[in-house]
Amino acid sequence: MARAPGDTHAVRDPGASFARDLADARPMVVAALSAHLRDLDAAEEAFAEACAALSETGETPENLAGWLITVGKRKAIDAIRKRGAQQRAGESAAYLEHPEGGDMGDVIELPEPIADERLRLIFICCHPALALDARAALALKVICGLPVGEIARLFLVPEPTMYQRITRAKAKIRDAGVSFELPPRKAWDERIEAVLLTLELAYTAAYQDAGGSRPGNEGGELAEEIERLAHLLAALLPGEPEALGMAALVTLARSREGARVDEAGAMVPLSKQDTARWDLERIERARVWLDEAQSFERTGAYQIMAAIQLTQSRRLFDGKVDWRSILALYEALMTLRPGPIVALNRVLALARVAGEERALEELEAMDLGAMESARPVLVARAHLLEGAGRIEEALGLLNRAIESDPAHAERLYLENWQARLMRL
Amino acid sequence: MQYMLLINEDESVYAGEEGAALMEKTLAGHMKLIEKLSVSGKEWSGNRLKSGSTATTIRYKAGEAALHDGPFAETHEELGGYYIVETDTLDEAIELARLIPVPGDGAVEIRPIWPDEDM
Repeated sequence: MARAPGDTHAVRDPGASFARDLADARPMVVAALSAHLRDLDAAEEAFAEACAALSETGETPENLAGWLITVGKRKAIDAIRKRGAQQRAGESAAYLEHPEGGDMGDVIELPEPIADERLRLIFICCHPALALDARAALALKVICGLPVGEIARLFLVPEPTMYQRITRAKAKIRDAGVSFELPPRKAWDERIEAVLLTLELAYTAAYQDAGGSRPGNEGGELAEEIERLAHLLAALLPGEPEALGMAALVTLARSREGARVDEAGAMVPLSKQDTARWDLERIERARVWLDEAQSFERTGAYQIMAAIQLTQSRRLFDGKVDWRSILALYEALMTLRPGPIVALNRVLALARVAGEERALEELEAMDLGAMESARPVLVARAHLLEGAGRIEEALGLLNRAIESDPAHAERLYLENWQARLMRL
Repeated sequence: MQYMLLINEDESVYAGEEGAALMEKTLAGHMKLIEKLSVSGKEWSGNRLKSGSTATTIRYKAGEAALHDGPFAETHEELGGYYIVETDTLDEAIELARLIPVPGDGAVEIRPIWPDEDM
């Protein structure tokens, strides 16, 4: 990949820089190899072999991605030939012609023009025919190159389970004949929706524990990878407002990472977060994306979710939160994407606009079904009851919330809150 | 690759007078699909099955066979027919499967057929 001017190898840690260059080149290279080989495993293998060949040469070619693609293709043909010789004649390699002479050195002078196949690869990894819980894992494995053990840790599942999930998804792609072609334009909406849903699921997993304090997600590593994928998608689909909305949403969530947990390790709710700890650069970047998205005048759930978060972020500038706008946005979201959590958030916004009594009335009237005793509902109700001065009832709900075994950071937060109410 | 498109649907929507009209419409949808398949030049086949009440099932328990009246699956949705189509990818097979009309509740399952050449 292109190096920034002045980024001299010898001064910085050359190993780390080289590894970062390879990581940057990976999505482009694996995508091109997948498109060429029509096999994800073969593409990953060819990428690894090309990287090994590169470290043997000890040089960094100017066009790193191009070099890796060309060498990766050759390595793949060699692998197919070898297998062919073992099995039968090896005619399967015939269609993958390459000039004779296995010397890798000549490739440095013949970089191929690179077609950007990354979108194709994203569409394959997030294909709607694949199990939803396998898609994000597959994307992180194939596109970002995360080891399976790491992905298992991020999604809190045992490594063998994650290995099986990814293997099964790859087998489905191969055995069911999932297309390696970019789908026709008319099919994009459905496919983009599948990609966005994949990102949303992974994003929810990254933030289900406030503060990223659960073991395995220290420092929000999953969030970082999801942000990388969301940014890539937005860059590849600049004309898709929902992809831009998703990028804005994920970026805004990350902008608050430094403020979500206090020194004692307790979760800090959004309204109490120290705005000085928010990442202004990310907020600004998200704002630009959302402006861009909204210029298409095709609204969607992710744009609205991002708009809600951006409205919250404005507190950084004037210290105030425009709850009327937030309420209106939640109402719009309820029509596009009704669900208990959206309904709950709408009621919390309503409390800010029309008071706790009114919000409690609406909450009592809501049919939450099995969600009735879920922690977010208990916490929201406790919050409203406290606001309405019904401290005893609020304490009862907080007890139940604490008993439902929240993650460490949230437990500390709830316990502090409980202690505060008991002093009243 | 060859794919089998298995049409599972609730037969009860075709009962009665209104159901008969619905069946006409459904059949017209199938005719359109058949036309498309015929002009594609690729091999295909397909059949409509008689209602689930005509089915007989040989059920096995630990390898022991016993005959039963009725279809295999005990759901409201019966296998009502199938197509076998030839396409390059799953995605194209899905496009064809979407053209199968299912006016009530049901599902169309798309299954790749084990290829001969691998045997």
